[in-house]
Amino acid sequence: MSPVDWYLTLAVGLFCIGAYGVLARRNVILIVMSLELMLNAVNIALAAFADFIPGAAGRGTFFVLFIITLAAAEVTIGLAIIVANYRNRRSVQADEFSEMKG
Amino acid sequence: MHVIITLITLLPLAGFVATLLLGKGPLKRRPEVISLAAVTGSWVLSMIVVAHVFGAHTKAIDFNLFSWVSAGSFHVQWGYLVDSLTAIMLIVVSTIGMLVHYYSIGYMRGDGGYYRFFAYLNLFMFAMFTLILANNYLLVFLGWEGVGLCSYLLISFWFHKKSASQAGKKAFLVNRVGDWGFTLGLFLMFTTFGSLQFGQVFARVAHVNPGLITWISLLLFVGAVGKSAQFPLHVWLPDAMEGPTPVSALIHAATMVNAGVYIIARSYPLVSHSHTAMLVVMTVGTFTAIYAACIALTQNDIKKVIAYSTISSLGFMFMALGAGAWVAAIFYLFAHGFFKGLLFLGSGSVIHSMSGEQDMRRMGGLRKKLPITFWTMMVGACANVGLFPFAGFWAKDEILGGDFAAHYYVVWAVGIITAFVTALFMFRLMFLTFWGENRASAEVQRHIHESPRIMTVPLVILAVPAAVLGLVVGLPPEAGWLHTFLHPVFFNVRTEHFAWAGSGGGLMAISLVVVVLGIYTAFVAYVRRPEVPARAAARVPWAYEASYHKFYMDEFYDAAVIRPVMAFAMWLWTFVDVKVIDGAVNGLAWVWGAFGRALRPLQTGRAQSYAFSVFGGLFVLIILIRYVWGA
Amino acid sequence: MPHGDFHPVLFVIVAVWVLVCALGVVTFRNIVHSAMAMVLCFLGVAAAYVLLAAGLLAVIQILIYVGAISVVMLFAIMLTEQHNAPLGFFFNRQAIFALPLAVAMFVVLTVVLVTSKMLPNGSQAHNVSLAAIANGLFNGYVFPFELVSFVLLAAMIGAIVLARREDQP
Repeated sequence: MSPVDWYLTLAVGLFCIGAYGVLARRNVILIVMSLELMLNAVNIALAAFADFIPGAAGRGTFFVLFIITLAAAEVTIGLAIIVANYRNRRSVQADEFSEMKG
Repeated sequence: MHVIITLITLLPLAGFVATLLLGKGPLKRRPEVISLAAVTGSWVLSMIVVAHVFGAHTKAIDFNLFSWVSAGSFHVQWGYLVDSLTAIMLIVVSTIGMLVHYYSIGYMRGDGGYYRFFAYLNLFMFAMFTLILANNYLLVFLGWEGVGLCSYLLISFWFHKKSASQAGKKAFLVNRVGDWGFTLGLFLMFTTFGSLQFGQVFARVAHVNPGLITWISLLLFVGAVGKSAQFPLHVWLPDAMEGPTPVSALIHAATMVNAGVYIIARSYPLVSHSHTAMLVVMTVGTFTAIYAACIALTQNDIKKVIAYSTISSLGFMFMALGAGAWVAAIFYLFAHGFFKGLLFLGSGSVIHSMSGEQDMRRMGGLRKKLPITFWTMMVGACANVGLFPFAGFWAKDEILGGDFAAHYYVVWAVGIITAFVTALFMFRLMFLTFWGENRASAEVQRHIHESPRIMTVPLVILAVPAAVLGLVVGLPPEAGWLHTFLHPVFFNVRTEHFAWAGSGGGLMAISLVVVVLGIYTAFVAYVRRPEVPARAAARVPWAYEASYHKFYMDEFYDAAVIRPVMAFAMWLWTFVDVKVIDGAVNGLAWVWGAFGRALRPLQTGRAQSYAFSVFGGLFVLIILIRYVWGA
Repeated sequence: MPHGDFHPVLFVIVAVWVLVCALGVVTFRNIVHSAMAMVLCFLGVAAAYVLLAAGLLAVIQILIYVGAISVVMLFAIMLTEQHNAPLGFFFNRQAIFALPLAVAMFVVLTVVLVTSKMLPNGSQAHNVSLAAIANGLFNGYVFPFELVSFVLLAAMIGAIVLARREDQP
């Protein structure tokens, strides 16, 4: 296994842990946190490509930069929505938001 | 000449259209003018054509106007044929058609649908002319259907009267059964001969399988049975008397019902090759003749009696055709058109003067009040029963003589009996209507008057050929002018030569005696001792009832055909339509609903379960792409 | 430290650090504990960037993720009440199925990526200098750069609008 493969394994592991968090927890804020873990996993993979693969050097870095920026914007909006929703329903349990049932 | 022939059919068609369009508007006061002009024009042109045929009667005129149907290997032309047979038919159709048109001016005066009546009459003339002038079977069929349509329109002319509209429907439907046979015959003819043109079909008859010829002939005859009201498709004609009397005279006595006889006569080269078909034709005709005569004996409506008489006369014509007496049949047709038309128009005159009364039991003693009607009807009646020297005598005798000569002795015997019964019922009609005391109400009696001249003149005109036609064209029997004239058409007919002093004369004497006996019996029963008919009916009530109820044919059809069809239709509705078809459609809808209901639990409304599906799907996809599809 | 070299020991330390903290995020009952674990996880990711000779990324990671995003998360946690309750309250009904799925996904993805023939086997260093990054950002990638700034503006405005109370102007 080359170095890239090791970092990729790490990235995949972090990604799957984040995925488990998204699928299994009920608190929506915790879901957003797990989502951030998944994004970080991708960033690690990209940085690894930037370091170990000829031709991906600059591009990997730029991709990571943009992902971090957009992740920040996304978290902002997401949490604002959660807070507004909490004001109306007094709850942050994902199971309870099922008006679109059926 | 081609133009003249085409115009004969086109003038009434134009008259129909014009009368319909203009009848209520510009021509409101005299809507009949155009149709009269058209039909008179057709008569004049027909006479010109007939004169031409007289002059060159060995050469037929056969020409095509345009290619009518062209579909693959099926080609039919729109063309006309004029030969001796056509000439005879033209005389009958155009003359009686024209006289009926004039008669109708008087008879239908004041009727709300006056212009419509004349439009329909013109349309009928167009169809009938097309039928007799056509040079191929398909064009004949067009005319055939056309006269059927006009028959329906005119029978149910007073359509607000339920019985009239039902009679029209009955006529059309029963005719349709005949048309079905005719159509099958056309199909078979085309597949056998490859053409429907008279000339081409007749030229190839010798090379064709005789079994096929029999089938074609029989199928064509089925059509004739429907159109000419033979047993068992005769049931429409008595009900057709619901129509105005001029309609009965024109369509159901003189022209349309002759179409069946005409088509069999025209198919002479075809039908004469099939002994079986000829036998069938003769049997049906003979049976119908005596059957209808027996029914006519007990009917009380004056028009119904004449209607059954028509059926019986047509039976005689078919009897003649089937026995091989082709010319005799046409001779009878020729004469019959005149005297039966005369009888109908005369009865119309009687009904008109009796303020619409049609039941003979309420008539009587009219011979002094309606002299012209009386004398002309007398001529017609004598011609109908075959009294010497009127037209019917010569024609009927030739038929009976032909039967005897062809060794159909049973048929001859039946014919003689029918002649007796015919004389009986016909003069029963005359005696009940014109002799004795008038049995109507006082109100009606006050209005009895002779009909206007526009009605009586056609009666007189028709009485002339009814009286003398036989003498003019039929003498000497089997060798008269008519026989020579029609020889090119019926070129292979063997005729026994008539012998005045031998069997021919003897047969004539027998039939004459029989007829006189019938007249005398009627005289005794209805004038001298009027209580006799009632006593006779009481002695054999079953016979009287059977005859009066037309041998229960309508009841039979109701039970055997109409009820099963209705039951089948009901079953189709309640089972097939409601359960099967609606069930399938509704079931299909239910299936889709079931799908939806089954899949609904997937929509939990919770984003996390959707995310689970996405992730799981991604998992499956990765495996598929990497390991199954080998990317 | 030499660029681009692979140091197995350091890598293992960092990897274990990141993964353990991530597990903490998804398993703690108390959400504040999860937030803390998340912060530690981000720091670990920054360390991984350092190992990958991406110093700029490490610094930016700490600034943004640890410094801003984690704080925002904590604010949101504070604004929404939490209760202490039995376990079923924290994990939903499909958690039983999510665990095997995540594990299977890990296995499959690792195998697929490691056995893939698409990635060249390189261990050379190809680091990019800061000057080159700046150059690329304002020359080659200027269009995405501007777009992202618009997105940030929109996010800011959106957050303000969403978080307002009803009776405020």
